[in-house]
Amino acid sequence: MGADLKVIGNADQDAQVECQIRDLTVIFTTDSGDFPALNHVNLDIIKNKITAIVGESGSGKSTLGLAILNGVAFPGKVTEGSVEFAEHGNVLKLRGKALRHFRGPVVGTVFQASQNAMNPLARVGKQILDLGRSHHYKDPRKLLHEAENLARRMAMDPSRVLTAYPHQLSGGMRQRMGIIMALVLKPKVLLLDEPTTALDLLTQSAVLEIIRSIHRERHLTTILITHDMGVVAEVSDYIVVMYAGRVVEQGSTHDTLRDPRHPYTRAILRAIPRLTGDLNRARPLEGSPPDLTQIPATGCVFRSRCSYRAPQCDLVAPLLESVDTGHFVACHQEGLIRD
Amino acid sequence: MIEVRKLEKVYPPVVGGLLSHNEVRALRGVSLSISDGGALSIIGESGCGKTTFGRILAGLESYSGGDIAMDGVALNSLPNNERQPYFRRIQLIHQDPYTALNPSHTILHAMAVPLRIQAKLQKKNDDWILNRSKELLAMVGLDPVGTLYKYPHALSGGQRQRVVIARALTVDPKILVADEAVSMIDVSMRLSILNLLSDLRVRLRIGIVFITHDVAAARYIAKDGELCVLYRGEVVEYGQTDEIIVRPVHPYTQAMLSAMPVLRGLEEAGPDRYIPLEGMDDFEGQGSGCLFAPRCRHATARCQEQHPDLVPWDDRLSSSSHHHACFYPIPRNVVARPINRENAL
Repeated sequence: MGADLKVIGNADQDAQVECQIRDLTVIFTTDSGDFPALNHVNLDIIKNKITAIVGESGSGKSTLGLAILNGVAFPGKVTEGSVEFAEHGNVLKLRGKALRHFRGPVVGTVFQASQNAMNPLARVGKQILDLGRSHHYKDPRKLLHEAENLARRMAMDPSRVLTAYPHQLSGGMRQRMGIIMALVLKPKVLLLDEPTTALDLLTQSAVLEIIRSIHRERHLTTILITHDMGVVAEVSDYIVVMYAGRVVEQGSTHDTLRDPRHPYTRAILRAIPRLTGDLNRARPLEGSPPDLTQIPATGCVFRSRCSYRAPQCDLVAPLLESVDTGHFVACHQEGLIRD
Repeated sequence: MIEVRKLEKVYPPVVGGLLSHNEVRALRGVSLSISDGGALSIIGESGCGKTTFGRILAGLESYSGGDIAMDGVALNSLPNNERQPYFRRIQLIHQDPYTALNPSHTILHAMAVPLRIQAKLQKKNDDWILNRSKELLAMVGLDPVGTLYKYPHALSGGQRQRVVIARALTVDPKILVADEAVSMIDVSMRLSILNLLSDLRVRLRIGIVFITHDVAAARYIAKDGELCVLYRGEVVEYGQTDEIIVRPVHPYTQAMLSAMPVLRGLEEAGPDRYIPLEGMDDFEGQGSGCLFAPRCRHATARCQEQHPDLVPWDDRLSSSSHHHACFYPIPRNVVARPINRENAL
């Protein structure tokens, strides 16, 4: 990787970059104009760590996930930027066969609502074999053996779940099956888009526990896309906060949660009711979540909901700047917020 | 005041065909009461019967046993057509504000349909319908003039949920049953919807039954009310909200509270926090014992054989309302504690 590239986790000397996103811009072309779903996103995904990408609806987090797979579909279009993977080069340049061998064997993905993505007419085990066939996996028995190991690892009875049809499994089991299908080809990167959204609290905590331990066991690089700060806080090492297609804050989860520097991050953390402590501390965030059609072309995207708004915010979009070792914030007023 | 006594709901078995299933006992003798202007949060996993309970309260579902009494009138004793006005006073707010509003009708239309019936009953004219719509939309924090002629697609999820709440208010309800009312709304908007519900409770003395799996939201709504934990159609623990959260005695309540994510850096996990990985799929406990026994790590032979009833917890420190259904009630400290910092948010 180039020497001029900043590494977000540079507090950690050994941090290596697995995936490097530079100036990534995705435009959605519609009848009423062009809207940037991602606007010059710069990001380093650190190897063997869990990076969480968090944001509300319309923040561009799922588009970012698709762009990492070079999967942005019409009417969206990547107009600028690159997604470099160590050893694989710019993913956005991959086509055809090379792309197919990238998606799956290199980056295993669990898409949003993937518990409903299985073929209802085929047994789960068969679908895993199909997966192996489409990736020219030579030894089907080994593949099933791997799936059995993973199922056992995830507290499921392999002989039961692999011979079952999807409707015979509970939501939590299907979600874990989705993770197994993403991992069975032994990728080195695991991309999870809202992996626990439709799950119960108890199942969610168990699935998160499994994700964390499998991540450690298999030395994966995990990218977790979610809207839930709690999920982020529970499992991730690094956090990337997105708002209206821009990265507004990024850093280690511990530092960012303890000392959030962007007004949006602060407001969202304060808007979550907690189980203990004073409930009157919780404050709702004013305004509505970002609507892509109404994002101002100039200035800060968050200013209409921001209590630290200054004249400068209307004119110039703030750049993502380092405020601490490995902690980046895009805010003009960052210095004032500290006090 | 609404009292629910030993409410039972059994979905009959379906025999033959693809969708055959055994009899499902959704509610197994649930007794609860909601005072006027009170707040009750019901928590539990999916399949615990919490949605069925809400639907029965709102009159959308029949019940197989037990009784509901409203202001002392037992609804079982009334003929069907006389029950309706009672059930009308309990309104349900659904989880999904995207499907709760007809996309081809304006907000005014959505509001006017129930109001027209009210206008007829109260002998009011059309102006009253318009004015009342505006008044209700303003009450839920929307701009009446800007919202009235919009279609649902032009509103955000939070705004739609406010419209749904305003529509529920058209019939002057005594109780709002909010079934996962904020789980589909963006995180930054959730708190303001919760605040709206609490605000309506104070201003209009409307009781709130808040059904959720998010314990923190349940606490937020029922901070001065009660919390009820349902497991497979049974109340396993019940009492003042903060007492249940700080001193839960049922292992299932403890598991639910443990599952709440800890904001690392801001909070530290409770010392007794335990997340069960095993047995998360074994829902079908057999036999006559405690329903939670197959998943419980504290279960003994007695739990497998006998069924614990809901009894008051007689402990010096507990309030009289704290009830539990466990043979071995031991309070455990499972919830996360905020870490004290000078620079607190």
